[in-house]
Amino acid sequence: MILWFQKFFGRNGLVLSLYMLLVSFIWIVVMFVLPQIFMFDFSFRFNWTQIDPSKIGGPEDVYTLQHYKFLLLGSPNNPDPFNIVDVTVFARTILAAAFVTLFDLIVCYPVAYYLAHVAKGGVTRLMMLSLVVPFWINELLRAFAFRILFGEEGTINNILLLLGILSQPIDYVRENIALYTGLGYAYILLMIFPIYNAVESLDRNQIEAARDLGSPWWRIHWRVVIPFAKPGITSGCTMVFMLSAGALALPQIIGGPSSLWFTQIIYQWFNTGSNWPRGSAYAVSLLVICVILVLLFMKIFKVKFGEIGR
Amino acid sequence: MSSEKILRLAISFYIILFFAYLFGPLIVMSITAFNSAEFPRLSPWDCFSTEWFGVLVNDARIMGGFKNSLIIGIAVVFVSVPIGLAGALMLGQLSNRVRPVFYTLTISTILVPGVVLGISTLIFWDRMGMMFNAGYESFFYDGIVLTIIGQSTFISAYTMLVFISRLQRFDPVLEEAALDLGATNIQTFRKILLPFLKPAIGSAAVLAFLASFENYNTTVFTIVTESTLTTVLASKVRYGINPSISALAVIIIGLTLTMAFIHEVLKRREQAREIALKKEGQAAKVKNEPYKVSRKLFRNPVPVMVLLIFVAGLGTAWKARGYNVQQCKIEAFAEKRKMQEELSKKRSSEMKKKLEDQKAASASANTSETKKAAPGTDHYGSIFAPTNLEGQVESDEKKTETPETPKNQYQNIFAPTNLEGQVESKKQKKETPETPKNQYQSIFAPSNLEGQVESQE
Amino acid sequence: MSADVILENITVKFDDFTAVKDADITIKGGEFFSFLGPSGCGKTTLLRAISGFQDPSEGRVFIGGKDMSGIGPNKRPTALIFQNLALFPLMTVWENIAFSLEVKGVGKTERRKKADELLELVALPGQGDKMVNELSGGQRQRVAVARALAAEPEVMLLDEPLSALDLKLRQHMRTELREIQQRAGITFIYITHDQGEALTMSDRVAVMREGIIEQVGEGTKVYDNPSTAFVASFVGENNAFHGTVRNVMSAKAIVSTGTGELEACLPEGIELNIGDKAIVFARPEAMSFVKQKNLEKNVIKTEVVHQEFEGHFWHLILKGTDDMKIKMSQINDGLTQVYEEGAELNVKIDPKLAVALPFGPLAAE
Repeated sequence: MILWFQKFFGRNGLVLSLYMLLVSFIWIVVMFVLPQIFMFDFSFRFNWTQIDPSKIGGPEDVYTLQHYKFLLLGSPNNPDPFNIVDVTVFARTILAAAFVTLFDLIVCYPVAYYLAHVAKGGVTRLMMLSLVVPFWINELLRAFAFRILFGEEGTINNILLLLGILSQPIDYVRENIALYTGLGYAYILLMIFPIYNAVESLDRNQIEAARDLGSPWWRIHWRVVIPFAKPGITSGCTMVFMLSAGALALPQIIGGPSSLWFTQIIYQWFNTGSNWPRGSAYAVSLLVICVILVLLFMKIFKVKFGEIGR
Repeated sequence: MSSEKILRLAISFYIILFFAYLFGPLIVMSITAFNSAEFPRLSPWDCFSTEWFGVLVNDARIMGGFKNSLIIGIAVVFVSVPIGLAGALMLGQLSNRVRPVFYTLTISTILVPGVVLGISTLIFWDRMGMMFNAGYESFFYDGIVLTIIGQSTFISAYTMLVFISRLQRFDPVLEEAALDLGATNIQTFRKILLPFLKPAIGSAAVLAFLASFENYNTTVFTIVTESTLTTVLASKVRYGINPSISALAVIIIGLTLTMAFIHEVLKRREQAREIALKKEGQAAKVKNEPYKVSRKLFRNPVPVMVLLIFVAGLGTAWKARGYNVQQCKIEAFAEKRKMQEELSKKRSSEMKKKLEDQKAASASANTSETKKAAPGTDHYGSIFAPTNLEGQVESDEKKTETPETPKNQYQNIFAPTNLEGQVESKKQKKETPETPKNQYQSIFAPSNLEGQVESQE
Repeated sequence: MSADVILENITVKFDDFTAVKDADITIKGGEFFSFLGPSGCGKTTLLRAISGFQDPSEGRVFIGGKDMSGIGPNKRPTALIFQNLALFPLMTVWENIAFSLEVKGVGKTERRKKADELLELVALPGQGDKMVNELSGGQRQRVAVARALAAEPEVMLLDEPLSALDLKLRQHMRTELREIQQRAGITFIYITHDQGEALTMSDRVAVMREGIIEQVGEGTKVYDNPSTAFVASFVGENNAFHGTVRNVMSAKAIVSTGTGELEACLPEGIELNIGDKAIVFARPEAMSFVKQKNLEKNVIKTEVVHQEFEGHFWHLILKGTDDMKIKMSQINDGLTQVYEEGAELNVKIDPKLAVALPFGPLAAE
């Protein structure tokens, strides 16, 4: 170990070595790992800051499972067997995130493939640029755009009413269509590029060969392209899933009554609930479940952790 | 062969549809910025007006948030670029066993939900502040500082990726050559490595700034009592939106397109230069190339289109000099009033007829049918539905409605509160008739976010 | 200013692979010294040990009498010319050349002046403001040399610098490098796998095989008096006749080979005993034709397989009595006969030029 440090300092000189080591340390430990640990610890504490600040650091400042219990079972006066609202919201958030991921995958795969293999040079560049430009625009503004489109008096309703397809405007917000479309829209870029990168490196000759052997196009994709693009698909799905599950702005802006997002509950505990430990507990739960799901997903599809690039 | 052609057509159609999905919302939103109506919409089109841009600029909260976003963005660039660079350099020097661990740790900052990063940063520094017994004015609790820290945690990973990609094309022998010629490590770093990384530093800085500017999930927790543009926009959900937000969108979209255009031009020039260099091998000749490049550029449809739009816009603006917004509004107002009166007359006569019919049929069904007779009254339910965000905005109007008057777009004009315009921060906050109907209602009650806003005023 | 380089029992090990085994040489100041050997023989590793990029596992490097242990490459009085030249792509030619002065803090005008001087020295006048990628291969070579010279090293190290050039350019650069070295008077340590280069340019050559230095000496000595079978087969072309020693006399040996009994010289310091396995080496140019068979010794019966023309040499590929392939070369003096395939020829091997050596590994074909 010491030998490594000697070599390292020898190779880079004192100043540079210190820079690299210190900065990396501060980044990973002070800015990332320690806060997670603190948050984790905090989630097991009583909310003394709000209830009775004098008790902080005192003998009653012990660990408790109170908040996790609350998440699962609800308050002590809860007549239901478990915390139906929170747990349902949690489950639904996860399921919805999975749905959005699937939606994005299905929508983006053809485009990524087209971009990689069908489009010619100049068109490719143009398409790439036009894919990236919408995403340079603030996420919130995009959410508002969706709000305008999907509102009761929104554009889509107006057009459909005008065309006579509808006699009454549809409340898209209530139907959660707005939210799901919005979420799908938000993370398209993150799904397209990993798949594009993976598919692009596929030798076109393989596809030609398969076609030559008489394989129909859907089979070509199923047996040749998709297995090759697996790392890209997995990395895209991972990112979209994590980001959808953790989305906050979109649910707040275009979410409807029946599509409460778990992150909104977390936010609430911090804001009006003023119960930071409880909020932390909820946040930790979200994090843990997401990580477990992603690891499981990667294991099932046998992909390693190396592929997140833009 | 024809089935393949159909397939090709279908795919092209799909691609077009896809891009419509991508650009549609943005285009719609941009257009609504020019409609003088109170609520951003395409139809009915009241009057063409640029007043909302004025409203935007005068909105203190938005401007304040914008300023903070800029400050934070620039600070994040100065923090995350050096961190990302250090990370990328380290990665190249770690042993094969340690490297994947380091990489996983740094990439995890991107995968972890933004809210978790925001919360953990907040809690960590809060506890640190307690340990040092720091007061609330200190930096431990300063929203700007915390946001810079929280955002940099994951934005550094983005910059690191940019540097890694550039470093992969670096020939390490160059460093050895420099050392061999007598340079110290720092000199080698400064004179050989950094110049090579210059383009990467540029991209990383731009990336960091954009990522910071548009961040919400992490910021909303770390910003504490301050606000950024994104948090201000999000809180506007409570107050209802007006086209000033569309105006903001137009400005940002315009800026983005301009930047994209400039970026493309620069890139093409660079490419042309490289090609010329390979062929001729003389820098002198390349000086003439840029002019050739710009001519080629105009064969590409996109810049031509953009230019056309720009020219069209100018032409319209020229023509519009004689156009008076106020006048138009007054006319539109009068027009709508007239239509409204006609419609209400028509409706009330219809209703009377129906009532008479109903009375003949059965008496008990009256009240429910009265409700049904007025089209759209099922939307009354939405007022009380706990979390209908749309309802909040339109609920103002509904309050002043009489039960018989049908809910329709024209109602906006009559609601007294709307005539004052929905420009917030100056008007009083209206309590919307939401009464919590279930245990999580509190989340969406607008009064909850007022706490955040109030501290600024 | 030149310094001598002493390698004292240098061994370089990587995990379980030994790249250099116990190299012990003294290179004199002002000498043009070459390390010659096939790829992977350890010559690059040795060069990096001298320049400071590689710490020897055992042994020490002395430059100018000073022990270089622990001293980094930027503090050693050496300049290395890398195989791919490693010119700085983002700097102009003169900035490249003046780099070693820049890091010492020399002012710009003086740096420019020195760079221009060196450009004259390497026959590239006025090219200072060009970018590196605008130059041809040969020009870049010279810039690399100029850049190294600007550092005023006491020892110049060159890692196969000419391998990427085409034949004509290579031959031209050989002469140029030699001239530059003699003008500057610096110690040149040159590594290559091309023995033609090594022989034409160097004062002395060290032949290496698998990390071991097999022989050190002047070009003529290494060529005419190889001390191992490997050296004999690697340096220049050589026909190897395998056999057993039948008789040993002072400075002579008679070896019984598959092609016949051959007499050869025994080089100084080489010991052979009767019954030892040995190889008789005869250079293609050390052979001649005889009409009568039995009048002279060292005559072998051969059959023509193939005749080649290589400009100033005619080569004959012959087949000996045991089907061994023999190469014979004759100077193209306009009098060479053209032989048919299958023609029988009697070839005499000059006993004064043939060398007998103990059996050992030969250079790969």
